[in-house]
Parts: sequence; structure tokens; C-alpha cells
Amino acid sequence: MAFREINSKMIEASVVPGQRLFSQRGAMLAYKGDVSFTPNMTGGQGGVMSMIGRRVANEDTPLMTVEGSGTVLFGHGGHHIQVINLAGDTLYVEADRLLAFEGTLQQGTMFLGSQGGVMGMVRGQISGQGLFTTTLKGHGSVAVMAHGGVFEVPITPQRPVHVDPQAYVAHHGDVRNKLSTALGWRDMVGRGSGEAFQLELSGSGAVYVQASEEKL
Amino acid sequence: MSHHPGAGPTVYDPMTLPSDDNVDSYTFCVELKGNQWFLQKGKMIAYYGSMEFNGIGHGRLDRLVRTSFHSPLHASDWVVAEGSGKMLLADRAFDVNSYDLDDGNLTIRSGNLLAFQPSLALKQSIVPGFLTLIGTGKFVAASNGPVVFMEPPIRVDPQALVGWADCPSPCHHYDHGYMTGVMGGLRALTGLGGASGEEHQFEFVGAGTVLLQSSETLMAEQATGVLPPDAGVPGSGGAHTGPSQAGGTPRLPGQLGDLQRRFGL
Repeated sequence: MAFREINSKMIEASVVPGQRLFSQRGAMLAYKGDVSFTPNMTGGQGGVMSMIGRRVANEDTPLMTVEGSGTVLFGHGGHHIQVINLAGDTLYVEADRLLAFEGTLQQGTMFLGSQGGVMGMVRGQISGQGLFTTTLKGHGSVAVMAHGGVFEVPITPQRPVHVDPQAYVAHHGDVRNKLSTALGWRDMVGRGSGEAFQLELSGSGAVYVQASEEKL
Repeated sequence: MSHHPGAGPTVYDPMTLPSDDNVDSYTFCVELKGNQWFLQKGKMIAYYGSMEFNGIGHGRLDRLVRTSFHSPLHASDWVVAEGSGKMLLADRAFDVNSYDLDDGNLTIRSGNLLAFQPSLALKQSIVPGFLTLIGTGKFVAASNGPVVFMEPPIRVDPQALVGWADCPSPCHHYDHGYMTGVMGGLRALTGLGGASGEEHQFEFVGAGTVLLQSSETLMAEQATGVLPPDAGVPGSGGAHTGPSQAGGTPRLPGQLGDLQRRFGL
């Protein structure tokens, strides 16, 4: 476990030689020991092709590589931080929510249209995810930022979870998500409840929800 | 603070309000029993009892300013509260905490200090924008996110620094390892790859405590007052010695500007 939560808005990461971390640029608050911060031109792992992929997908948040030996404190913009430990499964998260993650994780970009076709793209637009989202796969820890506190809602095959698209932060596991609409005649005449669109997540895994409807 | 689910918010009255302690993470309650407190203007949100708030430097408070307020140049930002009762302090829903000094010294960013007891002496720090409290007493400070205490040696993002206690003065530290070598030179020439945003830190060594806030979003700075224009006073705008740093060359797009000059590229 590379990340330790110091309080709700700050984490401590231990850096050991040979293991690199990636973090958002400028998110370091303090460090002890001999640690170097190198801007990451490709915006994460992989070669130039991955970089182009991320640029095209607009998932190329400026990252830096953290190497050396010591401890680093991370925090950004007063946002709440949730540490998610992955054990072989895949986390789906927006790149600009990533505060830091371990180099052992495989970083990728996923086209939302590949999960639900046109409806997937509509879902991406409404939840603010865009057409693409970032995936992190493997064993390691991820620190994700959110506006307000974060809570984890487990998803089991019998119990799908409905989430406000604006409060959605990330999810992991074997989860299918689709946009469910509850549009009625009231929405047509402008008297809607404001909750016409929900994200329905089903399968088995967990979804992280922030206690606010404000995007980062 | 007993809080049962469904019982609604906790209701306080003058008896149940804490004395010189936090009401919640964003509000601090000061109890006055005929004594005085210094407050930054506009940070009192409510009070019980009978108190007076006076601007500093008016007539009978002159002596107080002399004894515990050594920088009269920014005294107009402060008021003295006196009387008896309980008063609540808060600052834009930032985290608020109190600290006790026991014959010690603590230097704090001017915008973060909310209030202090007159038994402490407030002085301008040599580091511009910081104030130093010396003596024994309690003070209240705000921060963006909870404050974390760290021990030197440590390097700190300048924006995350709230203050330090008992430390020798901090110095600047520049990380530019990635700017050297062939790739680094290319990076500096083309501007490709950008900067990590972590090239510059404050470095603390020696014995003491460093106070950090949990975010690099600064609180609004409070003027600490103008310094007399003396040679050798940092930040005073006095006589400059040595070659001037400010170059007149316009910055080209893609260049790292100040960094480049600092690293002699």
C-alpha cells in the first residue's frame, strides 16, 4: 500500500527506489528524502502511441513521474481524496480526477461508445466524461479526487445502483453501466425534477460517489 | 457535542459553547472574562455578552500596541476585543485551529492568522508576507484544509506552507535535475514537455516543526505593512545592491522564463 490517508484532503506516499509513482503536476505539497519530480511528456505510461491516443481522447492530464526514496505528501485544490486499492481489476475514472497512482498499474484509454454504442456516447456527454475515459488495471493504489466526501457503493448482481451522473466519480469491477432516463411529460414542459438522467450500474464491483454535484 | 441522528443540529447557548476551543472544524469560540484578544478585522461572526471592538491605536489602547504589537504600520487591520462573553470566529468556512505557544516562537503566513492573545507579541517576519508570534499564549489560525505538522528535514511547496515553529529560517530549493543532459537541454530549448510545477520548494532543516495545509490553494494575503526603506532589509524596496535581477528581455512562448534564467540556461 503506497498511499496513506493523513486527513480527508491529504495523502502520504512512500517512494522506494525502483518503483515509480505518477501524479498530477503541481499536486506535491511537501516531501522528505531524495525524491525527483519529472514532467511526463507522454502524460503517463506507454510510448508515443499511447500519448497520441490520450491526446486524441482528451484524457491527457499533465502528469509527472515521482522517483527516488522518501515520502511525499500530495493534495490538490482542497479536494477530498479517496484512495482505491486495486487487486487485479480495472478502475474507470476521468483523467483529471487522478491525483496519483502507482506505476505498477496499466494505464489505458477507453472509448465509451464501445460500451453501449450510441447510448454510451450520450452517457459520456451527460455525465461529463466525454467520449473517452481512463482505465487503470492491475495491482496497486490510486488516489482519486472528488468534490466533497466520497463514499463507496457496492454493486451486486441482484442490486444495480443508480447514480446521479454529476456525482459519479469512478467505478471498478465487472460493471456494465447504462444511462437510464426517467423523462416524463413534466420534463417536456420544463417542470422536471432535475433528476431525469441517472447512471445505472449493474454487475459486480463498486462505484464511488461524491457528496456533491459539482464537477472538479 | 452529542449529536444523535434525527435530533437536528446541535443548539448552543452561552453555557454550552466551549471556552477557547473549536465549536466545529470551521468555528472557534473565544471566552472573554475582562481580558483582551486581538482579531483580524471581519473575522468575528457572532458574540454573546457585552464586548467592545476597538480599532488599534486609539487613545487608551496605545500602550497595548507598544507592548504586544510591534508593527504599527499594519495595525489598522486589527481590532481589540474586550469585555466578557463568548465570541465566535470563522473565516470563509476554512478550517480553523488554535495553537498554544509556551515561551516559543512561531512564524505564520499573514493571511492565515485570525486572532491572538495580547500575551503574545506579533512582529513582522524577515520573510515578506509572514508574521512572527513570540511569547506564551494562544492564537487562532485558519487554513485551507486541516493543518499537518511535520518535522524537518522537509521540502515544502511554497503554496502549502502555513508556517513554522522554532525552525531556523527556511531557504529556497530548486529541483532541476531533469533540465540537464541532452533531453533536458532539448526540453529547455523547445519548451516541450513542460515543467513539473515542482521545481521550487522551501527547504527546512534543523529542529522545529513545519505547519502545512492540505491544499496548495493559498488564502488571501493580508498586508503586513510597509517596511522602512533601508538597505539590507528584504522586501523593503530599499537600495538594491548588486546587479539587478529583472531582465528586460521579453519572454518567448514556450520558454520557461524565470526558471531558465535561474538555471543559467
